[in-house]
Amino acid sequence: MSLVEMKHITKTFPGVIALNDISFEVQPGETHILLGENGAGKSTLMKILSGAYEPTQGTLVANGIEYKRFTPKLSQENGISIIYQELSVINEISIQENIFVGKMVTKKVCGIPVIDKAYMRKRTQEVLEEVGLKRDPSEMVGSLSISEKQMVEIAKAVAFDAKVIIMDEPTSSLAQEEIQHLVSIVERLKSQGRGIVFISHKLDEVLTVGDRVTVLKDGTYVGTYNIRDMDEDKLVRLMVGREIKGTYLKEADEEYPDETILEVENLTRKDGKARNISFSLKKGEILGFSGLVGAGRTETMEAIFGAAKKKSGTIRLYGEELKINNTYDALCAGIALVTENRRETGFAPFFSIKKNIAQALELKESSFGGMTGLISPAQEKKVAEEQEKAMQIKCASLDQVITELSGGNQQKVILGRWMASNPKVIIFDEPTKGIDVGTKSEIYKLMRQLARQGIGVLVVSSELPEILSTCDRILVMGEGQIKGEFTSANANEENLVRAATS
Amino acid sequence: MRTKSKKTFNDYWSAYSTVAILLLMVIVFSALKPKAFMSVNNYIKIIEQSAIYILLACGEFFGIILGGIDLSVSSTMALTGVVCAKLMVTGWHPILAVLVGIIIFGAMIGALNGTLINVTNLPPFIITLGMQSVLRGLTYILSNARSVSGISVGFMKSVAGKIGGVVPMPIVIALVVAVIMIFFTTKTKAGRNIYALGGNPMSAYYAGITTKQHRLLCFVLSSVCAALAGMVNIARLGSAEPNAGTGYETFAIAAVIIGGTSFFGGQGTVWKVVIGAIIIGVINNGLNMVGLSSYYQQIAMGILIILAVTLDRFFGASSRK
Repeated sequence: MSLVEMKHITKTFPGVIALNDISFEVQPGETHILLGENGAGKSTLMKILSGAYEPTQGTLVANGIEYKRFTPKLSQENGISIIYQELSVINEISIQENIFVGKMVTKKVCGIPVIDKAYMRKRTQEVLEEVGLKRDPSEMVGSLSISEKQMVEIAKAVAFDAKVIIMDEPTSSLAQEEIQHLVSIVERLKSQGRGIVFISHKLDEVLTVGDRVTVLKDGTYVGTYNIRDMDEDKLVRLMVGREIKGTYLKEADEEYPDETILEVENLTRKDGKARNISFSLKKGEILGFSGLVGAGRTETMEAIFGAAKKKSGTIRLYGEELKINNTYDALCAGIALVTENRRETGFAPFFSIKKNIAQALELKESSFGGMTGLISPAQEKKVAEEQEKAMQIKCASLDQVITELSGGNQQKVILGRWMASNPKVIIFDEPTKGIDVGTKSEIYKLMRQLARQGIGVLVVSSELPEILSTCDRILVMGEGQIKGEFTSANANEENLVRAATS
Repeated sequence: MRTKSKKTFNDYWSAYSTVAILLLMVIVFSALKPKAFMSVNNYIKIIEQSAIYILLACGEFFGIILGGIDLSVSSTMALTGVVCAKLMVTGWHPILAVLVGIIIFGAMIGALNGTLINVTNLPPFIITLGMQSVLRGLTYILSNARSVSGISVGFMKSVAGKIGGVVPMPIVIALVVAVIMIFFTTKTKAGRNIYALGGNPMSAYYAGITTKQHRLLCFVLSSVCAALAGMVNIARLGSAEPNAGTGYETFAIAAVIIGGTSFFGGQGTVWKVVIGAIIIGVINNGLNMVGLSSYYQQIAMGILIILAVTLDRFFGASSRK
């Protein structure tokens, strides 16, 4: 009998089907891999299992009982424990307190319940031994390494007798020997009859750790397979095998002058999150950056845009070396960045559509760090109306506050803001994240139109179909470096994934 | 297709709440003490007393619009006052003393506040709380904890006198500063940028705004306004008191908040802050008239701050998402 079973789970969010009829189960003593690209629905599925989300359709079965949904409490009672990629240990308290946080064991002294420290210490020692962590229970968690913190989380699951332990990309921030240790602990937990759910992108790892694998793709169920029947090629094909709809590539007969717009040479960030990045962008082409989340693509763009400190490297625009120390310098030089997260880094939340659109041009036209000059209401109105038309922004009035718009229209306002400042290079970071399909294709068309006008276009995207259908050339990044280069002719989902996961 | 969006009660509230509170206060005190409160002389007195609050609040506005605060305004007011007085006593021409002791020195204090906040990345609360104490200490040391007297009479007359025997100079100074600040916040690019910075510093930075420069400017403006309050204060009293303005940061903050400025930054208007400051003046004056001591005034001020922010939470701009 399986430890837990998810039957035909469908989860919809307003306007999006996140999961479509997914079934998933965990047997005692197995490591079940959950595999899929970014956005395939792995996290959503696990959030349903942990009780954070309620499934729209489908049921969960545990201990022979069928449930409509799990609550976090129910999930815990059924022995399900999740170890998130962003570890949830508390640095400021000891290992022992972390393990028993929220579940302090008490004993009665003269009828008054007091915390039973001796018992908790003993139990902590036991479980630490089980996960092979040689630390005293009283040590502060803040002084542990990431790998050790992870072991504390696993120990916590073991301490409360978790039957199913879900590990979300557990090896993403571990060194090689730490991964070895983790794998041996996984083996031990398995031999005790627990079920392990292992979420990972790294194919070699998946093949060595796993017993079975369930593959998800765009929220749909591809299948569940025995690992011994699999190899890397098969896994990649299962992950990405889908049709690509609609391309926004240039037509074959279009010719562009052989002129370089942007040239980046040996760019290295001070914090090392992007290293030795070199590439050039030619007039008329759209250059894509592919790779997994955390591969250093956004980090590279931030460095070019002046939003992160550079250690070394040169950036040339039309042959002229740029001195960019902050985002204002980048704006004045003609580099624009449409960020990934609109709410956090995109727009001015209390400003009207008009003020948001006029912002970049007004800054560019002033001097001394954007502090001089008066606002011209006439120009503001003119610029906003132009961009409203060009971007086809749907709004009741340009004086509406931007937060009243839909995500797609907000994105258009941000695009309008940058376009009004006449940029020479425009960087799109996940330009269609959280945007409806209709607006998506409008944005793709716009990108192509900009490239035709001679504006340099860089695109960072985790969505393979997007990058394949929009870009003329694709650079694949991994671990802060460029791992490969493909042209639209020789790029396909398989070799992009392979380059990113190698 | 364009439609006019319907105005809700919340819209009216965020537009007129400050004026409504002012009217309410005037009506209440007029009803309680019709003879003493409702006289031209008393109104002029209220406005004159409000001048210092207006100056302090105009500065404090720039701390709060960033989503921060400036707790050092009261000490800045005292220290610059003492420095300006000392310079005049040692024989400096009053204009030069004001230029150096008030304007330049005040700007330097603000620049120090802003630089410390930019470099340490600590909340303005911490930095300006520390500075409040440092500046107050300096004031006592510089003045030997005694009031500095011997200020030029010409200075007193031109800063605290009455134009044509009717219009008090302090209120003229305060209103000139207020008009400059209204112009700055609504018509200049730097002013616009400050709102963007207060609304969301990250998105402001990614939009190309030099966030550190603008933050520095805000704290400079705050301190210069406080220094001008210090100037008015010594001119009115005829001497510089080392304990001047103690606790006045509460009045300044109260005025800014009652003036409808969001404590979370990015939203607020200077003219309403000016009305907020006049409300503080009315309350202090009115409670005096009613015969309650300044201790009760402190209680009233505290209640008003809490009430204003609570009402803002439910009806004001920050009640919207």
